[in-house]
Amino acid sequence: MSWRERLFKIDRRVLYLLIAVAVVVPLIKPLGLPTAVTPHAQHLFDAVDRIPPRTKPLLLSMDYSPSVMPELQPMSLAILRHCFAKKVPVIVMTLDPNGVGLAEDAILKAAAEYPEIKEGVDYAFIGFKAGYNVVMIGIGQNFRATFPTDGSGHPVEQVPILANIKNYDDFAMVITIAGSAIVESWIIFAVTRYHVLLGSGITAVSSADYYPFLQTGQLCGMLAGMKGGAEYEELLDKHDYSHAPKRASQGMDAISSAHIIIIVFIILGNISYFLSRRKKA
Amino acid sequence: MDRRIPLTILLVLGIVMMLQFFIPSRPSETFFEYVFVRFGIILFGFALIPSVGSLIRHHWKKAAARKQGWPYSIVALVGLFGMAAVGFLDREQLLGGASGLFRRLFLNVQVPMQASMFGILAFYMASASYRAFRARTFEATLLLVAAFIIMFGVIPFGAYVWDKIPVISEWFLEVPNMAAKRGIKFGVGLGIAATSLKIILGIERSWMGGGGKG
Repeated sequence: MSWRERLFKIDRRVLYLLIAVAVVVPLIKPLGLPTAVTPHAQHLFDAVDRIPPRTKPLLLSMDYSPSVMPELQPMSLAILRHCFAKKVPVIVMTLDPNGVGLAEDAILKAAAEYPEIKEGVDYAFIGFKAGYNVVMIGIGQNFRATFPTDGSGHPVEQVPILANIKNYDDFAMVITIAGSAIVESWIIFAVTRYHVLLGSGITAVSSADYYPFLQTGQLCGMLAGMKGGAEYEELLDKHDYSHAPKRASQGMDAISSAHIIIIVFIILGNISYFLSRRKKA
Repeated sequence: MDRRIPLTILLVLGIVMMLQFFIPSRPSETFFEYVFVRFGIILFGFALIPSVGSLIRHHWKKAAARKQGWPYSIVALVGLFGMAAVGFLDREQLLGGASGLFRRLFLNVQVPMQASMFGILAFYMASASYRAFRARTFEATLLLVAAFIIMFGVIPFGAYVWDKIPVISEWFLEVPNMAAKRGIKFGVGLGIAATSLKIILGIERSWMGGGGKG
């Protein structure tokens, strides 16, 4: 077999091994590559940062399942840390049945870092509700009818942070962290109908879909993939809101090295393709 | 006759809900709240019954007939009933409440499994891009160049190579990508409106089953 043929037929197991090494090594020994903040992440951070402390709450909807958790959970954690550090009340919900455990985990982790934060006063988890578009409209029509109790079953009238919520007018803004097209439903039902200030965090693969909504202002900001989470962590660190371990930034090192391997192999594949084409000609 | 009932309900509710959207009054909102919000949430809750029933039936039949891969069906059924039982017991604070067994099973079994399944995609994507991502035609070359710039643009390493790469990557997303996406979204939106009208007026009946006949 000539070297050209070898180049064209690299065993896939070699490629798998290289990808595994490229992912695992930076996770064990982070490279510490700097993260440049994109304007969309900066806009979302600024929108949250503008909410005055102890006034209207932020509604954080964690609409994703464990499959996309590595990408999206750092975003939720970063936003919770931002709210807790700034004393912005935050109400967490989920429109994904698998999101309940992830939301509880994120709240417990972030709240443990801010001992002065009190459940029911500074934050509340209102759980999962089926039928996402119905829930989105329901919050705009009558919050209490849609969520008569919080996630633990306490009536909303008995939970201080929830007691005065009637509809979207009582929220400073809504942020949806989603691994599906649910962001578009938030835009259709909450933004168009109720003029909600909406921000989003989404997987990298679906980020390209939401650029039209950023231009129109229907999304005030966006975190795209693990990079978006890393950017938010960077902003929290820069503004002294949180110095917790930056999980997304560490993940970006692994993504960077895996991307480089993929790029190198695409180049190799194309070189071998052109060489074989020239040989045939 | 049996098909006329759902078609009539659809026609009436479809038109009423459209009218309701444009009538910003209290009675209209109350009607919407009761018919759509409350009824909708109940309906979505009940939709779980046939879906879970179908899952159980499928795996039960497969396991009973010892079809190929039947042990996986047993695992699926044990997982379904096991997690449900632990969930109910946990809700009654019998297994430690919020920090109990259900949460531990979820975080230590379901989360790593689902995240691993998604993570495995990285290996297949790397292999597929090496074998298939070739500059065979002009269009494929354009796609390849754009993909290179986007890939370099989203990783910190890109800015090391040339600090303009993230800027060019962002331009690709904000100009050509957005133009294409906007066109697609307009098309999809018009398609949804047209199909919805056809369904409300009873022209499109495939949602009723039976290949849309009758």
